[in-house]
Amino acid sequence: MRMKINAYASPWCMSAFLLLVLLGLILLGLSIGDNGLTLQQSVWAVFGAGDTFAVFLIQELRLPRIIAAILSGAALAVAGCLLQTLARNRLATPNVIGLDNGATAFAVASIVAVPVSLATPVLALTGAATAAALAFGLSAGSGARGYRFIIMGIGVGAVFGALTNFMLARTDMDSANSAYPWTVGSLNARPEEAIYWLGCALILSVPFAVYVARSLNTMRLSDAVAIGLGASIRQTRWLTLIVVVLLTGFSVALAGPIGIIALAAPEAARSMSSANRVPVLSAGLVGSCLMLLADTIGQYAFSPIEVPVGLITAIVGGPYLIWILLRQPQQSTL
Amino acid sequence: MTFFNSSLAHTLTPASLVAEQLSLGYGEQLIIDQLSLEIPEQKITAIIGPNGCGKSTLLSGLARVLKPKAGQVLLNGKSIHLQSNRKVAQLLALLPQEAHAPDGLTVTELVRFGRQPHQGFLQQWGYEDEAIVQDAIRLANLEALAGRALNSISGGQRQRAWLAMTVAQSTPLLLLDEPTSVLDLGHQIEVFEIISQLAKAGKTIVMVVHDIMSACRYADHIVALKQGAIIAEGAPKDIITSDLIRQLYGVDCHIMEDPHNGSLLLTGAMRSSR
Repeated sequence: MRMKINAYASPWCMSAFLLLVLLGLILLGLSIGDNGLTLQQSVWAVFGAGDTFAVFLIQELRLPRIIAAILSGAALAVAGCLLQTLARNRLATPNVIGLDNGATAFAVASIVAVPVSLATPVLALTGAATAAALAFGLSAGSGARGYRFIIMGIGVGAVFGALTNFMLARTDMDSANSAYPWTVGSLNARPEEAIYWLGCALILSVPFAVYVARSLNTMRLSDAVAIGLGASIRQTRWLTLIVVVLLTGFSVALAGPIGIIALAAPEAARSMSSANRVPVLSAGLVGSCLMLLADTIGQYAFSPIEVPVGLITAIVGGPYLIWILLRQPQQSTL
Repeated sequence: MTFFNSSLAHTLTPASLVAEQLSLGYGEQLIIDQLSLEIPEQKITAIIGPNGCGKSTLLSGLARVLKPKAGQVLLNGKSIHLQSNRKVAQLLALLPQEAHAPDGLTVTELVRFGRQPHQGFLQQWGYEDEAIVQDAIRLANLEALAGRALNSISGGQRQRAWLAMTVAQSTPLLLLDEPTSVLDLGHQIEVFEIISQLAKAGKTIVMVVHDIMSACRYADHIVALKQGAIIAEGAPKDIITSDLIRQLYGVDCHIMEDPHNGSLLLTGAMRSSR
């Protein structure tokens, strides 16, 4: 009979802990602010009980936004965790190698420039896929490893960033305004259908993410060791890239380029778990918590002004990144 | 040795490894051309030869890390590239030359990687897995260091930890690429003695070895490789002659028997005048 060993129970404890934190943040997000609702009333309103105003406020305004934060945070963090591990480099997150910028450029184009009837999420996904194909194609031969592909990705990202700015500068004020959230990262003006797209993408890809994490884990040792331990390198690489592009594209369509989550959440998850695993699920949970926390702060800390979540994460995440790099200068590789 | 009764040995059914007209190379360059080789089961085979002769390339080919340009490798009679990677990993373990551990990974955590091919998608880590991991750590004399991070122990200890990982894979076949190349004499002997124990317990071992005297002392079967072709193959005492050494390395020497253990010694080696 196979039974679990104690040393391996800790990931479940950690997940439970993170879920509790997330639940606390959800309750906070539901009840915070000067709307006159108590915590109890807010929770009841989630299930449709209470007066019409409360139900409208919670079900139509707050809950969708909380769900959007949870989904986009999880997606960005899982994508970041996978790509960092594949590239064996902490810096190799989707936003650093230009996927966010590619998705943003295409999303903005769908609003200001191109008269296409395609939905924004589909275009954002196309953008992320294009950026990924360019970054990997131009660094052909060196594979998903080493600095060459990261530097190539930074270049691709810069081109797409410039393209976005160019489109915004050329367009009229109204279109530029409606495209603005995608350039800073905000959960305020999210397109309705983007939540469903991202939800479906997460449900589809998280099992694959957990599956490839096992092979990715052995690939950290070296490709030859991974093959010796039964991993399929090519299959793992392709699956990882597909999942990363899918999650990044759809989360950018929902929330804009909030790349710092992809950098910080896996880092935090790794520091909480043992070095012998790729903490995909905990990274996702941490990502959800960070995103929700940042969005709540952005909404209420400076009220009546609302600060976009992308600015909050950048203000907090920037110094955090510097701290990580200062703390472990020799540990930029994974 | 408790090892012989332990969980490491009892499940081993020998597996055969055969190269058929195998051609290997990188890009346009062909390094091994139509090589055929049968690995003797439950013995230690050492692949020797000068730098660049294709020793490591051959080992990579046998371990399916390198795809053949022509010919095939047969594991238990079936082409190794047509079998599922995980199934192959249950029969054949590999210790490559280049391997690096993530920061903070401990000895035990590394050795646990060896159980990966035996675990399914949803299969939980079991007591049997843990027992095998502990046996492998004991065999590699690493009990005292089991909880230490790999980057905090010495090179010899680290090499034993990697060896323990491949042992925990509990495969009948074990392929080692220069397992002692960076170690001092004491640690070299320690690793070779572990390898000998594994062979006695029923494992088939193929190793690339630089040091010809170590190969003579610990291997049952030697494959001498030059420019990608086998120029001699057999038991050390049958094939190691001063003629072969000259052919392989361009070195003149005398060969005598070690008075203490009967192994072969190379003395008076100097570059061949030719």
